Amino acid sequence: MKKITTSFITFGLIFGLASNSELSAQTLDGKQIIEKVYNRPTPPNQTSTLTMTLINKSGETRVRTIKQNTKDFGDVEKNIMFFITPADVKNTSFMNWTYTDATKSDDQWIYLPALKKTKRISSESKSDYFMGSDFTYDDLGDRKVEDDTHKLIGKETLDGKECYIVESVSKDKSYMYSKTVTWVVKDHFIELKKEFYDEEGEKLKVQHIKKYGDFDGFYIKILEEMVNVQDKHSTSLFFENINISVNLPEDLFTERMLMRGI
Amino acid sequence: MKKLALLIILSLFATPFLKAQNVEISGFARNYTGVLFDNGEFSILQNTLNLNFEKTGNKVAFKVNPMVYTYNTDSIKFNMREIYLDLYFNKIDIRIGKQQIVWGKADGVFITDIVSPLNLTEFLLPDFNEIRAGVYAAKFDYYIGNNTFEVIWIPVFTALETPSPGSIWFTQPTFPIQPTFDYSKRNVTASLENSEIFAKFTAITSLVDVELMGGYTWDDAPVLHMTKSFGMNPVTHLPYLSGINVTPEYHRLTLGGGSFSSQIKGFIFRGEAAYYGGKYFLTEDMTAVDGLTEKDYLHYVVGLDFSVSSILISTQFIQEHILDYEPGILTKETQNTMTFLARADVLRETLHLELFSYIGLTNEDALIRPKITYDITDGFSVLLGANIFVGDEAGRFGQYKDNSMIYTKIKYNF
Repeated sequence: MKKITTSFITFGLIFGLASNSELSAQTLDGKQIIEKVYNRPTPPNQTSTLTMTLINKSGETRVRTIKQNTKDFGDVEKNIMFFITPADVKNTSFMNWTYTDATKSDDQWIYLPALKKTKRISSESKSDYFMGSDFTYDDLGDRKVEDDTHKLIGKETLDGKECYIVESVSKDKSYMYSKTVTWVVKDHFIELKKEFYDEEGEKLKVQHIKKYGDFDGFYIKILEEMVNVQDKHSTSLFFENINISVNLPEDLFTERMLMRGI
Repeated sequence: MKKLALLIILSLFATPFLKAQNVEISGFARNYTGVLFDNGEFSILQNTLNLNFEKTGNKVAFKVNPMVYTYNTDSIKFNMREIYLDLYFNKIDIRIGKQQIVWGKADGVFITDIVSPLNLTEFLLPDFNEIRAGVYAAKFDYYIGNNTFEVIWIPVFTALETPSPGSIWFTQPTFPIQPTFDYSKRNVTASLENSEIFAKFTAITSLVDVELMGGYTWDDAPVLHMTKSFGMNPVTHLPYLSGINVTPEYHRLTLGGGSFSSQIKGFIFRGEAAYYGGKYFLTEDMTAVDGLTEKDYLHYVVGLDFSVSSILISTQFIQEHILDYEPGILTKETQNTMTFLARADVLRETLHLELFSYIGLTNEDALIRPKITYDITDGFSVLLGANIFVGDEAGRFGQYKDNSMIYTKIKYNF
């Protein structure tokens, strides 16, 4: 199965069901565990509706709804998103192409209905936050294994599941997180929980998968939460209408569909 | 006015019916108030209601987009910005009706983006989504993967909208003596012969996005044909200018051009160019017929977009060049302009800071447009901004030095 290198929201939510119990019985180091997380298989097609809820420290909420389609073409994975709410971004759409060739940057386009224009945008701003949420584009994608140094620091049972705990430190000293600590489910190499530490080494955010389900042999995230413990702000992602049994046509991932909308 | 009131009443009564038919209704209400720096007079007092009625199906869709503007307390303007029908086939889309069409890769500059004429009644200040007028057109798109071949037929000419006398944006053409005007040739009769036609090929690839276009159109601005009459001074026995007759008239224009956009190491490189054949320019050459000369004209832009610490920076260099230039032409042979944009979205994308500028390099003038927008809730925003005109008063921007203003926009999207 193709290596997932995509850097957008859909691609962070799929967990392969392939049993790794034999492997987990072996002694794995931190890097090997993260490699197995990174190399999980994914379904070739997926559609879903995402409701993203932003909650500030006063409890006030802002809700964004997005419909999205993803297809794996082998050498490239294409994702198209249509913004449904709020009203001021309605009919905005976004398309992302991610390549298996790790040296190749993602290609991204945004269609702004008010301007009636499709614009190519830069895909390099990984540390920017997605739509005012607590997720950066980097958080939502798959960070390359080689970008960090990984160390197995323990084992723990979390939500009734046995987990490895892996600490990852970026090789790039300017990276926005000084380290991350990830709870990986032993059986399926799912990142069940992840803590993000800021440049001063203080805990910044905690990501937690609250619910996931089995869809035709793949575990898929249904509800997850990211809490910024410093700002007391949180974001939940709730995926509905998940369908991986469709065969999405290639011409769905074109400028024509960006402009036409869903 | 009665028609407008009737339309609003019909819209209100039709709303439940439209909802039952799954017609989506969206839009915005906006208050826009501007005050001139110079004297504290209101430069604009405008309220706007924009309504979108849309229904999208697999084979057919439609959109109706009426807009109502009120000015001061007693002036109202109704604009059916768009009203069209979409037909979707396997590889072909057809859109028929009044529609806004946007081409090109440039921002705030109109080079190949000339299918929909501009509304310059408030100069370049309206939002770019409101500055274009809708055109009655049939648009055909044929798709092959991520390539599109588009043909547009416009049977009815729509002219550039310019400020009326009395507007702070109106600029009076200068003549050596008081002219007389003949408006008999100012209309372009709607006929097959007077149709406009445009074609464009678009390719979106991983490496680069490309557009190639051509058009047989009308110049959206009328050309002022000047006929001078001379008398003989009985004392000096020298000829003198005794009269000028000005006849505004639209002329055909042929153009070809293209644009591209590509990402290299996180930088977006953009470019757009068009070659206009047969554009008329005013000249002081006494031998020129009607005070005009016909020249070809080149207009292009190169741009670069990038981010620095989550601040989007976008800059463009624009050049307009008259080919085979002759002394006496009142427009400069080459005019250079730059644009600069810096934008940051902070406080979880509820506060938007933006600085956009046009900088006239040839005339050393500029329009500087800082603005701050705060989203009080989703869809409800307050904007505080300024439009500052500086530099040479002979320049495109400097001429409006007295129109520098501060303004607010309060907008509710639904």
